[in-house]
Amino acid sequence: MKLMPSRPNVEAKAAPARQTGAAMITIDRVSQVFRTSGRREHLAISDISLTIEDGAFVSILGPSGCGKSTLLYIVGGFVSPTEGVARVKGKAIRGPGPDRGPVFQEFALFPWKSVLGNVMYGPRQQGVKSGEAEAQSRALIEKVGLKGFEHFYPKELSGGMKQRVALARTLAYHPAVLLMDEPFGALDAHTRTRLQNDLLKIWERDRKTVLFVTHSVEEAVFLSDRVVVMTRAPGRIKQIVEIDLPRPRRRSELLLDPRYQKYVVDIEGMIDDTSEDELRP
Amino acid sequence: MTVIRAFVSRSAPLMACLGLLAIWQVAALMLKTDSFPGAWEAIKAIPSILGDQESLINILASIRRMAIGFSVAVLVSIPLGLMMGRSRAVASFFNPLLMITYPVPKAALMPIILLWLGVGDIAKMLVIFLGVSLPVIYHSFQGAKAIEEKMLWSGAAMGLSAAQRMIRIVLPAALPEILTGCRTGLVLALITMVTSEMIARQSGAGNILFNALDMGQYDTVYAMIIIIGAMGIGLDAAFERLRARLVRWSEPGFEIPLSFA
Repeated sequence: MKLMPSRPNVEAKAAPARQTGAAMITIDRVSQVFRTSGRREHLAISDISLTIEDGAFVSILGPSGCGKSTLLYIVGGFVSPTEGVARVKGKAIRGPGPDRGPVFQEFALFPWKSVLGNVMYGPRQQGVKSGEAEAQSRALIEKVGLKGFEHFYPKELSGGMKQRVALARTLAYHPAVLLMDEPFGALDAHTRTRLQNDLLKIWERDRKTVLFVTHSVEEAVFLSDRVVVMTRAPGRIKQIVEIDLPRPRRRSELLLDPRYQKYVVDIEGMIDDTSEDELRP
Repeated sequence: MTVIRAFVSRSAPLMACLGLLAIWQVAALMLKTDSFPGAWEAIKAIPSILGDQESLINILASIRRMAIGFSVAVLVSIPLGLMMGRSRAVASFFNPLLMITYPVPKAALMPIILLWLGVGDIAKMLVIFLGVSLPVIYHSFQGAKAIEEKMLWSGAAMGLSAAQRMIRIVLPAALPEILTGCRTGLVLALITMVTSEMIARQSGAGNILFNALDMGQYDTVYAMIIIIGAMGIGLDAAFERLRARLVRWSEPGFEIPLSFA
């Protein structure tokens, strides 16, 4: 048992997770070239190397079109990189797998399944018995704040509720890594804030490794242990900022915290630096 | 007020039918030609057709051919359409074939098919098959193509294989569109059924109709038109009920208690 990398427990919340976690994801000199319709090659991301430790919450931040989602898709195994290799727990990623659970901006729920059916889908696929899967799923639905909506169809839910279902559906099959691709990008400001708070609450309880893609500086600083700032296309890592703010974080306290404010201002400056001159035709 | 309104909207289809029959009756009385009997005479001829054993056998033979042609077409077309929608290679292979066959009236192929297969059931079922398969393939194709890629990615992350994703994600997600194609296909099955029997006279509902026409039994002709029309309405209504049940989850505006945020 001692040989296993120990997961940080809740009692040890003073110590940042990344100090105790072993490498969960390693991205090694990864580049991605897309062929556009005019047979032109478009370099989406270039030569990215990054290590994400077990239990760390890492945000990828950058302007739209900087390839930050591409990086997440590569880790998810949905896209294979043109060059370089991404690994999860030391094993090269060759495709999607239940150890990496995605949550997309588009929700991507199964519309023919009820809320409960959606959340149960992963456990059932993994061979969990129906009764047990249902009990676990009901508990998760309650955890994301949707108790009472078990038998609703996605069509009947608001955007924020859909994203709660998507999060529960992914958590249900216990992925080691959560891959969140601008999950709150399609939501209004109020709903977005509420979901950030709830995500943080859930995450601070079980500390899964999270790779979180966003273009909101405040969101990245509020949630993350570390913010990876990317340049415009082709996406490269411009700077990595460790967010040394205490957890559990509370929005009301954090917004008044000068350290938080400084992180936001600093990182906004980094993004402004990579302006028009780096845009290529 | 609401009771009256509900009654009106419920009985509207019936009113429309009665209105049509009334116009028909009036027109027939005004024209007074043998080849255009009134609605009442046509309706009066229906019981004798449905009471006649031979006519009944003919009509059931038609329905049997239609059912087989339709079922086989659906069973072949849905998988083909879905595969076209998910694979560019499959789509670029079959698309030109479909584009060529789409505008060709299937009845126009009938003489050639008769030449190959004779005037029996197989030839007629093949024509029905061809008539049904194109809209079903097309709609399955469109349905599969429109699927949100991330939905398939979510499935893949849960460990679904490519084949499982096809059956358990692509098929249900495309079902509303597939069933739209099937509904069109069902009406086309009826049309091709009648036309095939018109060209290859041997048995069937179309055969009764065109034989009666040859013999100048115009009340039978119009009675058969009513019977075939009623079959169409009945089949379509039954299918629509089935469709509504299967894709309840995709129907817009069903009782949504949106009193929450």
